[in-house]
Amino acid sequence: MNTVTKAYMRFPLARRIEHWVMMLSFTLLGLTGLPQRFPEAGLSQAILGILGGIEGLRNIHHISAIVMMFGTAWHILVMGYSVFVLRDKMSMLPTLQDAKDGIQALLYNIGFAKTYPQMGRYTFEEKMEYWAFVWGALVMGATGFMMWNPITATQYLPGEFIPAAKAAHGNEAVLAVLAIIIWHMYGVHIKRFNKAMFNGTQTEAEMLHEHPLELADIKAGIADRRPDAATLRKRQMIYYPIAAVLTLGMLGGIYGFINAEETALTTIPPIVETVEPPAPTVQP
Amino acid sequence: MHQRIKLRTPHIWTVSLLLGLGLFAFALAVLTTNAQAAPSLQPAAQDEKPNNDFCLACHQEEGIDKTLGSESLPVTINPTEFGLSVHSEEGILCVDCHVDISDYPHPDVKSKSVRDFQLTFADSCKECHEDQYTAAHDSVHQTAMDEGNENAPLCADCHNPHTQPRIIGETSGQLTIAARRDVPATCAKCHTDAFEIYKNSVHGSALADGNTDVPTCTDCHGVHSIGDPTTDSFRNNTPALCADCHDNEELMNKYGLSTEVLETYVADFHGTTTTLFEQQFPGQPINTAVCSDCHGIHDIASTKNAETGIAMQENLLLKCQRCHPDATANFSAAWMGHYQPSPEHYPIVYYVDLFYKFFIPAVLGGMILFILTDIYRRIVNRVKGAKH
Repeated sequence: MNTVTKAYMRFPLARRIEHWVMMLSFTLLGLTGLPQRFPEAGLSQAILGILGGIEGLRNIHHISAIVMMFGTAWHILVMGYSVFVLRDKMSMLPTLQDAKDGIQALLYNIGFAKTYPQMGRYTFEEKMEYWAFVWGALVMGATGFMMWNPITATQYLPGEFIPAAKAAHGNEAVLAVLAIIIWHMYGVHIKRFNKAMFNGTQTEAEMLHEHPLELADIKAGIADRRPDAATLRKRQMIYYPIAAVLTLGMLGGIYGFINAEETALTTIPPIVETVEPPAPTVQP
Repeated sequence: MHQRIKLRTPHIWTVSLLLGLGLFAFALAVLTTNAQAAPSLQPAAQDEKPNNDFCLACHQEEGIDKTLGSESLPVTINPTEFGLSVHSEEGILCVDCHVDISDYPHPDVKSKSVRDFQLTFADSCKECHEDQYTAAHDSVHQTAMDEGNENAPLCADCHNPHTQPRIIGETSGQLTIAARRDVPATCAKCHTDAFEIYKNSVHGSALADGNTDVPTCTDCHGVHSIGDPTTDSFRNNTPALCADCHDNEELMNKYGLSTEVLETYVADFHGTTTTLFEQQFPGQPINTAVCSDCHGIHDIASTKNAETGIAMQENLLLKCQRCHPDATANFSAAWMGHYQPSPEHYPIVYYVDLFYKFFIPAVLGGMILFILTDIYRRIVNRVKGAKH
């Protein structure tokens, strides 16, 4: 086996499916959201024409949002399992080292550092993107809820929060879509076409290049040390009931998000003004 | 013997008789000639139309009428009023419209009611006013007529041909100020309720005070080709209709009104939805509010009116609840009242926008900057033949 053909599993199928679901819903949300943010643009009109007008657009936007909510709930359950049952290293948590790595990478790029930083399972670039997504999901979820359920929201919040939510939702959307196009596209597809989300693996050369510390751990046999069967069983017995409650809670939350209220009547009641039937006019 | 007696009659009688007959014939001839030569109330000749004085000679008499079935139609024409009408000014003859009449006695009228009689003049105006006639035939009034409502207005119901003054200024080519002011009174002849509501509205009361800047009936409903205002396309077109005036800076500045009402409406949820929907599905029903859903139709009031003004949140809430029945007190403040967000009006919205105005370029700029250094390093490394 050489360094080009030897493959290391980076994302098992379940994680890849999760990624594809999030990617698909994110794309649809952007595609159906931005025309609402920029309704007068020619491209918005074209998209509206294809997707069945503003109402069709909103339906797709809402359905995509629901898909993303399920994706998020699934991610939380999986992360819970990883953290509480498997006791994996919380390799996605940002650390001071990430800031140092970022600065070193920048200095290296402009010629003020001799070497590029050596990083573990997730580089500072990947962590930045992950946490940006978390931030975005929180902002979009909260502001999206307010717009989806303005009557419920204004029972607890001042009315002004609704247009403010709309402003934040639209601006955050622009930021999120452009960040994905700029940062994700460059980092994962342009700089080097990263196939980890397609076939799930990275070659040894790629691992050495981007995740040398993780590779070292794998070679040393200290990465992802699994608990023994008995411990695993014990922890699962604790985690599963918690996960079940968590699942119910999250499903209830999603249900509430979708069904909190019937915002408006489907048809506007006509403004009634009684007008007497025209009377005949008599004149010479 | 009878014959004999006759023969015996003296010649003087015969001569007298002949003379008498001759004189009578002469007198008749002379009289007839005189009658033709002198000015007369009779038609001059068969192919010439009688002038208006000829008709008014009888018709100026007060209180005359014509019995039609069980009804009677007043047929008095006030010569002064008629003289001030545009038709008189333009030298239009009575018989130009009353084409069946050329002499007295007039031909029999078969109509059994006043309306029946009026309906026989339905096409009279077409001769001279074909454009208006055609437009009126595309109107909701004609539709009502076609559906059998004989009281739907004919041209003459709005424009009394015997009194109609000139309404288009000869030099301006525009509706005269006096005519604009009188429009609602014309429509009010049938649309009493709408007029009663309109005259107390912010527009109607200003018109009554002599301000002709405000819309009258025809400015929203059109003239002649008046469409059905209950259609979805009329509703969806409302924002554009109101913006005709409310986007006009010159006009709005006179009254200190905002010209951003359409812009701020379109920028909001209701306006964006209505605008986008109308572009894709013109004339289809949509449940988002247009101007009239909050401001009213004929009863449009000043938003600052203490009792009904929707600048008051409680009054606005009532409007919100028409479509959002569950809405509570805070809800109405979600509508930004046609304000652009600013530190004074809707500061949270303003500061959210302001935050992103800096946050977006900062984040994306940082990303782009880092990527550029990365690209630079890759090029340098490639040139040097070194590896990353």
